[in-house]
Parts: sequence; C-alpha cells; structure tokens
Amino acid sequence: MNARLTRTSWIARITFLEAIRQRFFAFLLVLSAVMVVSSVSLRFMDFGHSELKFVADFAFGGMFLFGSVLALVMTAQLFFAEIENRTALTLLAKPLSRTEFLLGKFLGTWAVLGVFVFSLAFLQGVILWSRTQELIVLAAETGRVAPDFSVSGLASFAVLQWLRLGVVAAMVLMVSAVARTFLFTVIVGAMAIVAGQLQWLAQEALLKPSDASVVTKSLLWISSRVIPQPPAV
Amino acid sequence: MSTSSAISVQGLTKDFRVGLRGIKLRAVDNLSLEIPRGQVFGLLGPNGCGKSTTLKIVLGLIPATSGSISILGSPSATSEARQRTGFLPEAPYFHKFLTGRELVQYCARLSGVPAEKVGEAVEGSLELAAMTEAANRPIGTYSKGMLQRIGLAQAIVHDPELVILDEPTAGVDPVGSAAIGRMINAMRAKGKTIVLCSHLLGQVEQVCDRVAIMDRGRLVLEGRVDEVLAQRDRHVITVADLTPQARQAAEAALAAHGATVTSITHPRRSLEDLFRELVTGSRDA
Repeated sequence: MNARLTRTSWIARITFLEAIRQRFFAFLLVLSAVMVVSSVSLRFMDFGHSELKFVADFAFGGMFLFGSVLALVMTAQLFFAEIENRTALTLLAKPLSRTEFLLGKFLGTWAVLGVFVFSLAFLQGVILWSRTQELIVLAAETGRVAPDFSVSGLASFAVLQWLRLGVVAAMVLMVSAVARTFLFTVIVGAMAIVAGQLQWLAQEALLKPSDASVVTKSLLWISSRVIPQPPAV
Repeated sequence: MSTSSAISVQGLTKDFRVGLRGIKLRAVDNLSLEIPRGQVFGLLGPNGCGKSTTLKIVLGLIPATSGSISILGSPSATSEARQRTGFLPEAPYFHKFLTGRELVQYCARLSGVPAEKVGEAVEGSLELAAMTEAANRPIGTYSKGMLQRIGLAQAIVHDPELVILDEPTAGVDPVGSAAIGRMINAMRAKGKTIVLCSHLLGQVEQVCDRVAIMDRGRLVLEGRVDEVLAQRDRHVITVADLTPQARQAAEAALAAHGATVTSITHPRRSLEDLFRELVTGSRDA
C-alpha cells in the first residue's frame, strides 16, 4: 500500500477507535434511536401526509439534527484533543504531513458518522418494514391500496445523510485547522451549518435582478458559492 | 552545513509575536550548533531558554524566523529527515485506550516500517525499553516511568539514526531514571546519535559525550563534557608536582616519605555548578 495511504488510514483507524468510545457518541446515538422509535407513536401528527412518509421524515430529521451536533462537536473535540494532549506533537514529528493528519482525522470521524447513520437507518428500516406489514394487512381488510416500502430507497437516503454529515465534518475540520480554540470552532461551525441550510435564500436573492449595492451582491455571492451546502435529502 | 553532523543548525532565530500589539519575543537568538553523529549530546538550559523551541524547529513542528537546519545531511522538516529521526516529547501523552503494543505498532506504521517487519520492530523496541511484559496492558494503567519507556519504544521502533529525547526522566523515580540511562547507553552502543534535553545534570554528565548550554535563547557554551568541566587554570596534584623539576624533586621527596606519583590531572567541577554559574539570574528574568 502507498505510504501516504497507509499513514492516513492509521490516523483514521485510531480516530475511529477514539471516537466510538466517546460517551457523547453513545448519548446521541441513544437519543436519536429513541427519536426514531418514537416516530411511530407520533404518526397521528402526520399533517395529511402518508403515515410512512411522516415516520421517515421525522426519523431522518432527527438523524440530521443529532448527526449535525455529533459531527460538529465530535470533529472539533477529536482535533483539539490531539493539540491539547500534545499527541499531535508526537505524531507530526513522524514522516506524516499535515494533510495526511487532517485527512485521516476526517476519514475516522466520517466512519463514526457512518456507524451513527447506518445504525439508525437500520432501526428505521425495521420500524418502517413492520409498520408496512401492519398497513398491508389493514389495507387488505379495508380494500385500500397497500403501501410500499423500498429498502433501496431507505439505503439511498441513508447514504445521502452520511454524505451530508461528511460535508459538515469537513467544514468543522477546516475551521479547526485555522482556529485556536474549541469553542470558536464549534460556534463558527454551527454558523456555517445554519448558513449552508439557508443558502437557497442567498441564491434566490442573487439571481433576482435588483439594485443592491456591490457589497451586498458580493456577500450574497460568497454565501451562495463559497459556503458549502450540505446535499438536501 | 556539514554532512558529518547529525544536526547542523546555522544562525537559527525564532521570534514569537505576543499580545494584541504583536510584541516580539525572541525565543532563539542566532543559534549555531553542530551535533556530531554517533554521540550522546546534552542540550541544557533553564526553563524558557529556548531548548524546546529549538527542538520543535529542528523537528519541523514550528517554522524558524531565520536560519537553516539540516538533519543527517537533509533539510529538516522533510519526510526523509523525519524518517531517520525518533522523538520522545516532554511528558508524553498517548491514547489511553490503546495497549502499549498497539501504540508502538501504530507509530511503526506511521514511521514507514513495512507491514511484514512491524512485528519484529515492535518486539525489538519493546525489549529495549523493558516494556515487553506490560505491552498488552492499556496505556491508561501505566505509571509515569512506564509512560516514558513506552514513549521511548515508539520513538525508536523504526530504527532511527537520530533520537531526540525531551526530558525523558521528568517525574521518573531514580530507578526508572537509571533504567532510561541504560537505554540511552544501549542506543549509543548501536551507533545512534542521541540528543538529550534534561534538567537532571548528574545524569547528563554521566551519559553525554558533549553538552551545549543555552541561556536566554543563546548558546553560552558547547563542547565535550570532559573539556567543559575541566578547570584548566588549576591543577589537582593527586600525588606530586607540576614542573618536571618540581615533579622530580617532589617525587624524590615523596619517595623519601614512601609516596609515589600515580597521575597528574585537572580538577573537575560538577556540571551542576557550571550550569548554575552560566545561567545565573535567568530564572528570575
């Protein structure tokens, strides 16, 4: 294996092992799992949408919310722990470039986010499948059209969520690389997530013909082009 | 830049900007130093004298303001130079969930040891560091001395030509400190160059071939331990005299009293005394 790849994969491996042991990860995983499970109980609030869609939307919403918090805090924490504990000093004195170190950190964090997303997606799949079976029986009794549940569709959504959280983790890591404190990184990272979520507003404003000042247009351009937008699910 | 030197430092200066107004703080001031290969070199100085900053610059962890550094003939901060260098930082901290063996394996792979040679390299370095028995225990259960020894094992696992040890005996009891001293001697016997930063002057005096003393970012003394500790303006007459005539007269006189001249040597002061004399007052600066 290429030496650079080997070093990067070892940094990723140790980062993954460190992150997966964190209580914060376990706490958010359990919290999100409770939210996914509770989505069935809250299906009466479906606001006219189909029941299965509401359950899926609710669960994916929770997955993104808690996943974003996890990506934000965990990425910053894993990075600054290396600096504050001075393990980075030991590692960077080896033939390891800063790029390899950051890439390894990202891949390790992203792998943990993958465990988070796919564990919840599996749980969600079990819930959706069992509820679908109940609805199929109910539809046969009442003569309605039976609902359909697509495993591949759920898997696609889970992959997109994972990519989305990967973008969040990458943004936070980029901020970490230039920031001096954990708190600053978390605040700027959170602002970047919010800005990314609201990016469509900047895009619309930029595309509309207006007599806005050059400064305003420049800010809109930066908001719509530079700040990464996590892919929508 | 000398290719026969393990480390060659030429005109190294490092300034830090502190505070909002960016006041310049000079940590290292025009330092030039040649560390020969195959020797144990002690870098001494009071806290804040620029030792650790110098080591960090040598390892490429922070950039120099000016000056040039080469490691084993290659420019420092390059992958080639780091591949041939091992480093034990002061008060090392490692991931507590890893076992000692896992940590050394991890560092071996980061240092470019091929997969098929990792097992042999890991066992060899664990043995040298006397950590074989405790290698399967999590690092979180290690004592301070064991942490230093596993730190040493990770520093030498890739068989580097140059080993830099920053305070390897800090907080370690005398027994553990003596064990680390033996490891340094074992590495010297293998032809390694060792740079040792330490406050334990007695140990430095015992294990080092050469020493350099820094104060306020400047080099104030460098040379062989024997040379710098010898007080050449004085003589210790162990049995006899200085001049040949006086010696002859003294030998005759001593012989008349049944004494014999066995050696004439220079008196020595301790490294600790020399250190205190050179850096007086800098601690309070």
